[in-house]
Amino acid sequence: MPGMLEIMVQNMVNIPLIQPLVDVLLKIPVINYIVALILWRPIFAVLIIPGLGAIMLVLMIIVWWERKLTARVQWRVGPLEVSRPIGGIMQVMADGMRYFFQEVIVHRNAHAIYFIQLPILAFLPVLLPILLIPAGPVYAIRSDYAIPAIVALIALIPVVIIAMGWASNNRFAYIGAIREAFMYFAYEIPLIFAVLAMMVLYGSGDPFVIVEKQTVPGILLNPVAALTFIIATVMATSRLPFEIPEADQEIAFGPFVEYSGILFGLVMTLAYEKLYLMSLLLTILFLGGWNGIAIPILGDFMPPFWLFLKAFVFMLIISLLRSIYARYRLDQALRIGWSSILAISIISIAISYALVLTGWLP
Amino acid sequence: MKKIKAEKLGLTESVKRHLEAIGVVVGEVIVPSTITIHYPRERRKLPDNFRGLILFDNKACISCFRCAHICPANAIVMEHRIAYFPSIDYAKCIFCHFCVDSCPTGALRPTKIHDFVYKDMDEMVVHSEEMVETPEIVREDSFTVEYVFDGDVQLVKKKEKEELVPEVKPPERPPKVAAALNPENCISCRLCVAACPTFAISAKEEKTKIILEINVDRCTACSICNKICPTSTLGLVDR
Repeated sequence: MPGMLEIMVQNMVNIPLIQPLVDVLLKIPVINYIVALILWRPIFAVLIIPGLGAIMLVLMIIVWWERKLTARVQWRVGPLEVSRPIGGIMQVMADGMRYFFQEVIVHRNAHAIYFIQLPILAFLPVLLPILLIPAGPVYAIRSDYAIPAIVALIALIPVVIIAMGWASNNRFAYIGAIREAFMYFAYEIPLIFAVLAMMVLYGSGDPFVIVEKQTVPGILLNPVAALTFIIATVMATSRLPFEIPEADQEIAFGPFVEYSGILFGLVMTLAYEKLYLMSLLLTILFLGGWNGIAIPILGDFMPPFWLFLKAFVFMLIISLLRSIYARYRLDQALRIGWSSILAISIISIAISYALVLTGWLP
Repeated sequence: MKKIKAEKLGLTESVKRHLEAIGVVVGEVIVPSTITIHYPRERRKLPDNFRGLILFDNKACISCFRCAHICPANAIVMEHRIAYFPSIDYAKCIFCHFCVDSCPTGALRPTKIHDFVYKDMDEMVVHSEEMVETPEIVREDSFTVEYVFDGDVQLVKKKEKEELVPEVKPPERPPKVAAALNPENCISCRLCVAACPTFAISAKEEKTKIILEINVDRCTACSICNKICPTSTLGLVDR
């Protein structure tokens, strides 16, 4: 296929820093296809950054960071003994290895087919939104409806979790699945309203238009929507203080109670992956997307870099919540979700309309 | 039934409390008040009279059996070597160090070694010859850590290695010595000779009577001879 290579080479990510190396590699017969494929913009967006590679990097650092932070607040040391010179950051890799070699137990009462396939299927709603999340020139699909589509795809994750709770056929998993369902409705509507407010403000669902219009970051234009979005993110990723569906101390990890081995490794990282996606969405809507200080040597890599960095810093800060707040009861969380947060999300839409109608934004 | 309601807070008050909580957490993240001792690399500073592994000096031992008598866990058994020397069963030992305290000559010495292991139960019976030398210790530590209880608990780290076998002065012997106070009472029964734990008393026969010789250097003024003598011949006098 001589045509294929040309198509890929024409639409390659241009990074001046590694360009000489790429030029050399493109002259070698087989390797040029691999290099061109990886650096092909759609593939680069989905596989490297802000896609799969970035997710793996985030998972590795954020789990360690969260454990370490909580340990410091609780006067402990946290993970340290694995790779002591770099502060125990390889602990996550060690845990991953353990998950790989641990036996996956499918108990007798579980619906074995769904029980095994759902953690793997859960990657679909995690990876599909990446297709629609652009990072400047590095993107897979450009659409006017990208933002609503991303929200809709992220909203599929709880469905998979509820299905896992059902397939586990365990009382704790069942309670966890019910709690997940309750929470789902409590946060999803304010979340959608907050996103809607920003779409009203910018007058488009296209991330490129949204980022272009953010000469002032969206968090300053509509702080109420930002607050709603952040609280909804915390609820959606079941982090403390809304760690209600998982609640270790009450229902022993809720829907994931029966999972072990690599399947547990997959489902445990689900909340972090969801947090990453929602951080990317938050960065695009409220933090100016991939706008940032220009670094010429990075070339096309610069916008994804800024997008990733902003989202990542937001994740690092949100990890702190775990050690600040205690867990709400389910009824308290539902009351918050259906009353105050729903109210402020509606107010945020009103603010957006006010801003648009008074003509503050072009 | 009494219902307890949550405290009603105003907006400013609740925001203030939220900020306070966040401030505490951020402060702890930046400068944590962790008081963990990283054990193999750091050691806690221990007092000199720490009750750890027990060492033995076979030259100082006078085979008085006091350690074996006082041991509340029956961990010490006297075994015959040159004389009767103690062996300690660490499976039974409760580290009360009564034996060390009771030793009149300082033959048993305390150390700060508290991290030692044995492969099996038989090995835990440590004989006197195995207690003479300080065991080999793999030291990974380069810091000595101390807790300072001044208001909040604090850790004070010093870059120094602590000596695990402290210098212990042997206990002072009582300034007394056994002597035949009433030699005319002696009935030559030689119970004192047999009873003396340090073999300080010897008896020399001379015609119809015996002469008791007391080795002043060996006498520990334990007054066993005084108690066992049926005719109150022996007593303690100042050195």
